[in-house]
Amino acid sequence: MKGDFRQSMKWLHTWVGLVVGWVLVFMFITGTSGYFKKEITRWMEPERPLASTHLDKGELLAMSQRYLAQHATDAKRWQIQLPNSRDGNLTLKWRKPPKKGERRGKRITKIINTDTGLATENIRATGGGSALYSLHYRLHYMPRIVAYWIVGFCTMLMLIAVITGVIFYKKIFSDFFTYRAKKGLIGWLDIHSVLSVIAIPFHFMITYSGLLFFLATYMALSFNLSLNSDQQGEYYDQVFPNNIVHEKSNVLGRLAPLSDMYIVSKQHWKKDTLTNVTVNFPMDSNSRVKFSRWETDITYNPEDQLVFAGVSGKIIEIPTRKVTVPGQINDGFISLHEGKFATPIVRGLYLFVGLLGAGMVASGLILWTTKRKPKQLKKTKGPDFGYRLVEQLNIGTIVGLPIAIALYFWANRLLPVGMENRAAWEINCLFISWAVLLIYPAFRPAITAWYEQLKISAFVFCFIPLLNFITTDKHLGITLPRSDWNLAGFDLTMLAIGLAFSFAAYKVKKHVIVKALKPNGDTYKTDENLAIAGFSSSTAKKESN
Amino acid sequence: MVKFTNPRWWVFSRIMAATLGGYALATSSSLFFSQLLLQSLGIYQALHIGMLLSFLIYACAAMWAFSTSTAKRAWLLLLQFNLVLITLSGLLMQVNP
Amino acid sequence: MLLLSLSFITMTLFCLAMEKHRKLIIPLDIPLSVQACLRPLAWAMLIISFYLSIDLYGWSIGPVVFFGMLTGCLLPLILLLTFRPTIIPLLAVFQPVIFYISY
Repeated sequence: MKGDFRQSMKWLHTWVGLVVGWVLVFMFITGTSGYFKKEITRWMEPERPLASTHLDKGELLAMSQRYLAQHATDAKRWQIQLPNSRDGNLTLKWRKPPKKGERRGKRITKIINTDTGLATENIRATGGGSALYSLHYRLHYMPRIVAYWIVGFCTMLMLIAVITGVIFYKKIFSDFFTYRAKKGLIGWLDIHSVLSVIAIPFHFMITYSGLLFFLATYMALSFNLSLNSDQQGEYYDQVFPNNIVHEKSNVLGRLAPLSDMYIVSKQHWKKDTLTNVTVNFPMDSNSRVKFSRWETDITYNPEDQLVFAGVSGKIIEIPTRKVTVPGQINDGFISLHEGKFATPIVRGLYLFVGLLGAGMVASGLILWTTKRKPKQLKKTKGPDFGYRLVEQLNIGTIVGLPIAIALYFWANRLLPVGMENRAAWEINCLFISWAVLLIYPAFRPAITAWYEQLKISAFVFCFIPLLNFITTDKHLGITLPRSDWNLAGFDLTMLAIGLAFSFAAYKVKKHVIVKALKPNGDTYKTDENLAIAGFSSSTAKKESN
Repeated sequence: MVKFTNPRWWVFSRIMAATLGGYALATSSSLFFSQLLLQSLGIYQALHIGMLLSFLIYACAAMWAFSTSTAKRAWLLLLQFNLVLITLSGLLMQVNP
Repeated sequence: MLLLSLSFITMTLFCLAMEKHRKLIIPLDIPLSVQACLRPLAWAMLIISFYLSIDLYGWSIGPVVFFGMLTGCLLPLILLLTFRPTIIPLLAVFQPVIFYISY
């Protein structure tokens, strides 16, 4: 198109990035926060008790069994989530039997206070980390299928951006380690290249696997042309086989102590990484207890589950699921995307590369405006509408979205506990504040808007630990001595993010002052430049000395 | 008759070619692969493999639509590929049980 | 053990970096014979760390850890290259020791 294959790919890369860049930043940030959705949910429900990861699992299982035998006798299935490094609380889940007209019963979740053995009452209504994460693929305020198509469209464009980026970048190997800081446009080009190239395997994986989630939806035409509806059901069974479902015997039976089964499991598994216990048909003589541990494989590892007969407490051999090659490829990619198997260190790596991804798209967007800035500023009627729009959206998304997310956390602490639709309103706060932050840069000079939003974000994040201290009893003063690293970690991370933003704000301020006082080819005059950035020339002279 | 002299029309045309033609190519290629592998793997696995590959094929088709010398060529070649794949899939569908 | 992989990988990249006209790291004159060895040595380290990763974590999680560690080391390395290139050889030599002790 542009005469040269490489040039066309470069053009395509730029335009594809520009069209969906902001949605991608949104998806990267919400997606990365999704790796910590359990930790975030725990922080957002401060009524939960502190972590009990130090307690013996056998005792916890006994406590759970007592509670469930009292309160959940009518359920078909009990689920016990033991405290682990991600979620330090003991959680019990079951479904009530369905009432007339319901397909399934109401789901009950109880957080057990391990000191008392009783459920924690009055936990505030909140979407928690899961609501934040679901924004990643479900977006908001629109029907599910519309969101899936929008997300799929953006992901496909990102796949094109990744592939074209690799194709056209000639200096991919020679400039692998290059970062020419403080050199304006080239510096931004280097940042963008570095952030993308060092994590190429991750970026390709996350984009391609993202598309795989809704495989049958996106490829609906070929799916429907190839298989009729019976075959479609069979397809799902074959490619994603489920475990064998066993039958209820309708004879009453007594469940053996789970703590005994725990001792057996410890002998069977060398490492004690038990996380979940599921009991099917607990009050039945044909009950089954499934012990699951932390996943050790990105596809299916039959060793990760241990099934006992409920009444006798003996291990039952379950035939391994039949897996297919394309099914395993699909599963593998999806579990890489979700990262559920990740131990804390690998999860930290996921956080790191997730942020790299957001930084990659953000730096690309900033690169676009930086490259066109000199020419745009020289225009007689002021910069083009397109340029102004991109700049405004850049500020509002790259800094504005984090601020909106921080305000989501603020809303969690500040909205009244008994409020109606509280969970929905927390998310509304996120979007309302984001809308404001997207719109107001239209009325301010760009550099001022950048600086203001960076300052706001620094404040909003750094204040969260303090807000936590004021509004709840799970602040750093309590969680650090008790080594509850989930909760403490959240506060500390917010602080770290706030400090990072304040560092960025400081750099922007210095950059403006340095540029203003240096005689160069800019069209702005010194004092005008400073005034636009909101500084007086005397402050600038003081700061530069 | 509107004269398509503005180069933006051609860009738009390429975008359409990439989007629609590319999607058609992804679909037809997934059908083709599923029919091709039907005998050895069974319809479900073959279809699955076809669909897994279709995303990559879409990306390549869309990229390639922007690299041809004119927009017309992009449309022509995409249509050609599509027709070839659809014909082949149709033939294979006759052959396969 | 994980951290040992990390340090091995970092060393790999340092070696590679030295090759690419980054005489900032070591301002001394390196004989040509040593220079020629650097790149093959770096590739060797990369392969060793890949092998170690698979060995420690299996074929499914191993590659994930391998690539993740590579990326994790690359960014600090690049930042250091820009701002504090002279620390790099010291770090390369001492960090395996530090990690081993802390582990």
